[in-house]
Amino acid sequence: MAFYWYQRDPELYRAEVQAMNKFFPSFTIHQLPDGSGRLYWRGKVQPSGPDGMVWDLMLIYKNDHPHAGADEYGGSIQILPVQPRLKDIAQRMMPLLEETYGSYDNCVAHGFGLGLPHIYRDNFGRNEEYFICTADPKYFKTGMTRSTSAASSLSWACKWIVLCEMWLNGEISDDVAMEGNY
Amino acid sequence: MDNNDIIAARRRALQEALHRGDTVVVSPTGQVELPSESSDPTQPRISVPQGKLA
Repeated sequence: MAFYWYQRDPELYRAEVQAMNKFFPSFTIHQLPDGSGRLYWRGKVQPSGPDGMVWDLMLIYKNDHPHAGADEYGGSIQILPVQPRLKDIAQRMMPLLEETYGSYDNCVAHGFGLGLPHIYRDNFGRNEEYFICTADPKYFKTGMTRSTSAASSLSWACKWIVLCEMWLNGEISDDVAMEGNY
Repeated sequence: MDNNDIIAARRRALQEALHRGDTVVVSPTGQVELPSESSDPTQPRISVPQGKLA
């Protein structure tokens, strides 16, 4: 049995490529050069429109795609902003949050332990990076006939970016940003 | 209404729609829009699936 999802299920691979080419034609697919066999899409988006920030993103498939464990935020597609780097933004926000909430422990209690709403950290190569928590795992579809695609994950990520930018600009409150009920 | 007012009003409408859980769409450049805003019918927009941020 093939180890990689794209060998095991070439039809799913074709559907993934078709969806990305249709909805996000500027993104291109590659394989990580780390020997893991993992595929990823790379491209740029401007979720707030032509005057907004440009985000350079990697959408990285886990080798068990499509899959979503109970604590696998965003399922088997990880969204890594390359530029701007979330870890850099989060580290700049942390002192402001500590000032607002009085202590690091209070930031954690309010869900801001990493410095931004709805992110998680994971190892990537030799570094620890911060990834976008696109959706609660229960919304990530993993069925035989219908699974969440990279295109759908990217659309979630674009929505996350808009909300994050609104929060960074002070347009929405911490509570609304953390609620994530969008 | 000048251009800045139009941009601000659009952003407020988008913010309210997101908070209400209304359907939003994403253009090929990644721009998040209300379905009614889609200006170019030849450009396919993907509807953002429902789902709470994790």
